[in-house]
Amino acid sequence: MGLMTAAVALPFLMAALCAALAGRLGRATGVLAALAFVPALLLASRTGGETLSETTRWVPDLGLNLVFRGDGFSLMFAVLIGVIGTLASLYSVTYLSDRERFGRFYPYLLAFGGSMLGLVLSDNLAALFAFWEMTSVTSFLLIGLWHTRSSARDGAVKAFLISALGGVALLAAVAMLGLAGGSAQLSQLDLDAVRASPLFVPALLLTVLAAATKSAQLPFHLWLPTAMEAPTPVSAFLHSATMVKAGVLLVAKFGLIFSVSPLWSGLLVPLGLATMVWGAWLALRQNDLKALLAYSTVSQLGLLVSLYGVADAEGRFAATTHLLNHAAFKAALFFVVGIIDHETGTRDVRRLSGLRRALPVTFVVAVLAALSMAGLPPLGGFLSKELFYETMWHQGPLFLAVAVAGGALTFAYSARLLRVFTGELSAPKVPHEAGAGLTVPAALLAGAALLMGLWPALTETLTRTAQEALAFASYGGHIRWWHGVTPALLGTLVTWALGAALVWQAPAAQRLQERLTPRWNANLSYVLILTLLNTLASRVTARTQGLALPDQLRLSLGASALIGGYAVWQAPQVLPRLGTVPLEALPVAALLVAGAVGVALSRNRLTAVVLTGLTGFGSAVSFLLMRAPDLALTQLLVETVTVILFLLVFRFLPGVRDLPRTRGRLGLDLLLSAAAAAGATLLVMASLRFLAPPISPYYLLNSYKEGGGKNVVNVILVDFRGFDTLGEITVVAVVALAVGALVRLGRPGQAPPEVDAEQLAAPAPRRKP
Amino acid sequence: MSGGRKGRAGKRPAARPGPAARPNALTDVGDPVLRVVSRAAFALVMLLTALLLWRGHNAPGGGFIAGLMTACALILHRVANGRCALNFPPLTVVPWGLALSFTTGLVPYLLGRAYLKSDYGYVSTPLTGEFEWATALLFDVGVYLIVAGSALHIAYELIDVNPRERVEDDR
Repeated sequence: MGLMTAAVALPFLMAALCAALAGRLGRATGVLAALAFVPALLLASRTGGETLSETTRWVPDLGLNLVFRGDGFSLMFAVLIGVIGTLASLYSVTYLSDRERFGRFYPYLLAFGGSMLGLVLSDNLAALFAFWEMTSVTSFLLIGLWHTRSSARDGAVKAFLISALGGVALLAAVAMLGLAGGSAQLSQLDLDAVRASPLFVPALLLTVLAAATKSAQLPFHLWLPTAMEAPTPVSAFLHSATMVKAGVLLVAKFGLIFSVSPLWSGLLVPLGLATMVWGAWLALRQNDLKALLAYSTVSQLGLLVSLYGVADAEGRFAATTHLLNHAAFKAALFFVVGIIDHETGTRDVRRLSGLRRALPVTFVVAVLAALSMAGLPPLGGFLSKELFYETMWHQGPLFLAVAVAGGALTFAYSARLLRVFTGELSAPKVPHEAGAGLTVPAALLAGAALLMGLWPALTETLTRTAQEALAFASYGGHIRWWHGVTPALLGTLVTWALGAALVWQAPAAQRLQERLTPRWNANLSYVLILTLLNTLASRVTARTQGLALPDQLRLSLGASALIGGYAVWQAPQVLPRLGTVPLEALPVAALLVAGAVGVALSRNRLTAVVLTGLTGFGSAVSFLLMRAPDLALTQLLVETVTVILFLLVFRFLPGVRDLPRTRGRLGLDLLLSAAAAAGATLLVMASLRFLAPPISPYYLLNSYKEGGGKNVVNVILVDFRGFDTLGEITVVAVVALAVGALVRLGRPGQAPPEVDAEQLAAPAPRRKP
Repeated sequence: MSGGRKGRAGKRPAARPGPAARPNALTDVGDPVLRVVSRAAFALVMLLTALLLWRGHNAPGGGFIAGLMTACALILHRVANGRCALNFPPLTVVPWGLALSFTTGLVPYLLGRAYLKSDYGYVSTPLTGEFEWATALLFDVGVYLIVAGSALHIAYELIDVNPRERVEDDR
């Protein structure tokens, strides 16, 4: 097993281990969880070398293999996931309340980490889609972790619905790419064939849709702020640094395929810039620190999408630099907000001020991270913002103007974030500096943001690890402090001036924002669409499924008569001769017919059940006659259990009612049952004529040699078609659960233990030393 | 809650009449003849079950059939004696069965062969003569556990329903 496979598999294995041990380890589970990311961190040692490739065969016949491809970009991203994942796990150790269900939290977190690593490393298109969906599912679980709160449930559902929409789009896109490119592997697609294919434009549009939903681009940005219901380490890990960047990753990787079309950058650059400006505008309005960061993430994702959307060497270079910077400062800021929440019990900007005295370490971290976000020297954010402006200038002055507007708003909300540290100390409860468990992860990330600013050569080296994979090796530019007097520098100066004006005139800006608040927003339309869909679904169900059982039966029989009749009419079947009927079959047939007629005539449920059993036992006998003892035995037992279950159910049903039939309806019913009988007979007779050579001789010949069993039926079940059996028994298990749930439905159940949502939300006080 | 609920929980049900115990034909101990006969029948059927499961690879039988037969035997026992012969809810064996079947298939896969590829061999001992072992039997035991557990779960849930119990949406 290679290192990449281990990096993806270990988080899943550790998730199971954490779930098992959480009861004993308590909050220390987080330390165990952090170990799961060790292989991902070790991948850092492979970044310089050749492209790695690891293949685990799965279903090779269907082109389904777990192929991990470690090019520079994927490995860089994987290491990033490893770093943030480790820090988030360690941060959670101190952050979470003692009453948190660690046995759920860490497994979910690790399952997410494994899915995300799989997503960035996977080269197989189907596996890429599967990992993409798994990140959606784990994100749903993590957002809904505190599911006693309705806002957490709503946020989880919203995030899931929107990313599921994107998931469906991605499935269609990768299917089209695989068909057009003639390979199930991303790296082996025939790009010329893809570009010439009529599926090119649909695949492109679907990819854009998938990326936009996952990376919270307009108008799908609405799920990200409500996803902040998740615990803060989750927000830092999933909703700022990794999962939301899956869409960005898609734009970056698939950009190599789609960038020949002007549609690609024509869609993505305006979309990204619009998201950047609108997200920043909304961020400035927030009073909740976490919501501010959420909208800021939306805005920064827009920036990244626009840069990768440009799809030239310069754009990819700038985007990759900013990707690293953003991961560092945004995760650090989330950790800072977590500390503030932890120590003061609130995240409301209006209730907090002067925290720098109480939280000096956090203050320094926050200043470094926020200044990097605002794009001020000497931090990493400044360098990537320069590159961003440079790229946008090459797109056109208008693009630069929009980018500068977004940058100024970013500057303003970064300042707003820092306002909680200035002025007189005020907080709902007296804050103390958080312990090392909370400050160290934040400080490490802020230190990285600072280091990337102070040492541009290092930043460039990091960025250039992705140059082969993303085809920007030819780009000659470098990361420097001083590029000379360029339009980008002018843009930066304008940004600072505008930003400073916004900060200086903050109350006026706020009033303006309130006046400009649109009455309609994306959230309202989401609710509207959801309500409409629900109404439509219940109407359709009520019209088609809510009928009385006889009506339902008439409908389905009528429909199958129509479809089957059409098929027979189009292609008349040549039916084989029946041959001779063996004498001993006659009593069995009589038994079956008697049972069926008896059921139809019976006026009592008990009689009906017993008579139904008669047909079942008759079938068993006919199996015996055809020398199929296994089938007969199975039929016999199934029939027995069925009769028992019927009897158990019928205890509660009212007696049989005679539904009044009109003469016309009686005629219709007779016609329908005659048609059904004719259809069933035709079907059986048609199946007697073999269209292909039967496969049964193969089983007869091989069951002893290959499966070591003399009972061919059993060998087929457990060996040749064992996978089918596995699926079937899974269905049996699910059915048992479902029936159990249905029987209990409406009974007074156990109420979930009362959980004080506020207590859970506000993390517990630190442990006593 | 119905009187039968305590029977399903299984610990020591007869000694603990529920506060809201209502008559329920299937959980009140009824016919003594049935009870006596059911004991012998129960033992015989369970023996037959074991035989069917064991010989399934080479003769009619197998996990599915054995599972259904076990379910029948236990339902009979439950109806005759008013309490369950198991001291755990039958649903608990279902995940174990699924895990067993799944991992039986996983082992050959991890050894580089096809998923669920079964293996078999022959061992000769002086006492039993030639004796065949097959990994397929483990898979079949998983099937057995799932089928028996699921059928019993459904049956017990239905037995536990008290027809006179009012539920939320009743009018």
